[in-house]
Amino acid sequence: MADIGKPAAFDGIGRVRFGAGSLQRLSALLTLFALVIGFGLASSAFLSVNNGLTILLQTSVIGILGIGMTMVIITGGIDLSVGSVLALAGVISGFAVKAGLPVFPAMTLGMLAGAACGLFNGFVITRMRIPPFVATLGMMLIARGLALQLTGATPVSGLGRSFGMLGNGALFRVVEMQQSGFPRVIFPGIPYPAILLAVVAVLIAYILRRRRIGRHIYATGSNEEAARLSGVRTDHTKLYAYTMSGALAGIAGNVLMSRLVTAQPSEGVMYELDAIAAAVIGGASLSGGVGGVGGTLIGAFIIGILRNGLNMSGVSAFIQQIVIGFVVIGAVWIDQIRNRPS
Amino acid sequence: MGATPLVEMIDIEKHFGGIRAVDHVSIDLFPGEVVGLLGHNGAGKSCLMKMLAGAMTPNGGEIRVDGKPVAFGEPNDARAKGIETIFQTLALADHLDAPANLFLGRELTTRFGNLDEAAMMDAARDVLSRLNPNFKNLRDPVSSLSGGQRQVIAIGRAIYFDTKILIMDEPTAALGPSETAMVADLIRQLREEGIGIFLVSHDMHDVFDLCDRVVVMNKGRVVGSNRIDEVTKDDVLSLIIKGELPMDWQPRNLEVTR
Repeated sequence: MADIGKPAAFDGIGRVRFGAGSLQRLSALLTLFALVIGFGLASSAFLSVNNGLTILLQTSVIGILGIGMTMVIITGGIDLSVGSVLALAGVISGFAVKAGLPVFPAMTLGMLAGAACGLFNGFVITRMRIPPFVATLGMMLIARGLALQLTGATPVSGLGRSFGMLGNGALFRVVEMQQSGFPRVIFPGIPYPAILLAVVAVLIAYILRRRRIGRHIYATGSNEEAARLSGVRTDHTKLYAYTMSGALAGIAGNVLMSRLVTAQPSEGVMYELDAIAAAVIGGASLSGGVGGVGGTLIGAFIIGILRNGLNMSGVSAFIQQIVIGFVVIGAVWIDQIRNRPS
Repeated sequence: MGATPLVEMIDIEKHFGGIRAVDHVSIDLFPGEVVGLLGHNGAGKSCLMKMLAGAMTPNGGEIRVDGKPVAFGEPNDARAKGIETIFQTLALADHLDAPANLFLGRELTTRFGNLDEAAMMDAARDVLSRLNPNFKNLRDPVSSLSGGQRQVIAIGRAIYFDTKILIMDEPTAALGPSETAMVADLIRQLREEGIGIFLVSHDMHDVFDLCDRVVVMNKGRVVGSNRIDEVTKDDVLSLIIKGELPMDWQPRNLEVTR
């Protein structure tokens, strides 16, 4: 037990292991604060509790995807399939509920489908020696095609109230009945997706920092040949990272479809790009070996707050894309500066 | 020496496509012996050592450790037999710090399976300060360390564990004079402890200073295997360059006693 309660050692690890990305993480954090202050000044509604919870809800899907993406990016890879896998997993959860399964096992099945897609990615990459970009591009088409084929491209609806619980429910929701007979929401509660995001973040951060497999994920991305010669099973490590990314995409799919209370086979297009952007803004390096859950969360919230704030300021969705595009380029530019030999 | 060799590599073959990198090579190593392995770049030294380290699988031949045949599928198999390697490239993960690299692939864990950072740090401080007392910045990523410090980590990693056979591939290539002397002392000390060492080197001075035997490879074959007192530097150079001893060669030590 002594190992857990040693703050000095733990601080040291945090400082050192992620030291390379700390400059960028700091700048990302400052950007996040600047955004909050800027949008807060622009619109009074932005800083309300309700809007804060909305942002939490909106960011949770990208956050969960981004955390899985981070694991893959640290190994030096990329996972372009998460958006499609999210859709396929959601569709499978939907079908399972339709087939009469209770919601929890049905969603577990969806998550496992996501994990299976990730495992396939890992298999193609490690056994067939296909570059991650190509392998996951293939899976992106395969999973999307499967989702569309299974559903005939039509949404699976009529899933019942309980299917919508995960996406629309909230913890500590306080509602008061008014005399007029209408309910008044005193505190909207913490959305379940946000709680799920927090759980996923803590779990993956723990795996990356405190478990052997996490250490191996960093080592594999840092120098794959060195890791192999040191006795790290780099293939197993990569297989693990891609499977986790797929499983988290499955969880994100459940959250998203539950929010819509419909399994939409065409959902999640281009989400992989948001997930990559979140990881990269948060300090993950596409050349591997660097990155972390904390940074990716900041990155996800930067994207989420940009979307939300620009929406509230009445900026069109097209302009939003342009802005986020520039943010991603800026973040990667900082990454480049950092990797330049000083 | 009548004892069983620590290592026997018998009739080892390795080819890449049509190229024979290692061509029917046999070599052995006894406890407390330092064997120098010399040859041109591309003569097959590193390749042969990688097979002994489990980083490469031979196409033919047999490896015996303590007289028993072994098959290494991955580096950890070789390590389990007490074979440790200092690779020419050092094999360090640049983003990780010294303790993480020292224990890479065999991390210490608590009984809950968490990484035992404190124990690894203590051990690292121990072994690294023995090799280089000035080594203080253990928490820095190794990419920011000097070539000498990186080498010290690679050496520390090879001697910390229960080592019986040590493969050193160009261990002094990145080192200054004082660090080179330290490595030489270390090799002598390890030899005293009965560890068998393969020393791959280009430095003729080191080889003659430290080795009991030299094995010279040329184009994938062993062209000479001599006790160090049988040969001169010129003889060894001739083996390396021409692949054979000078025409009129006789064992030098016999010459002296005659």
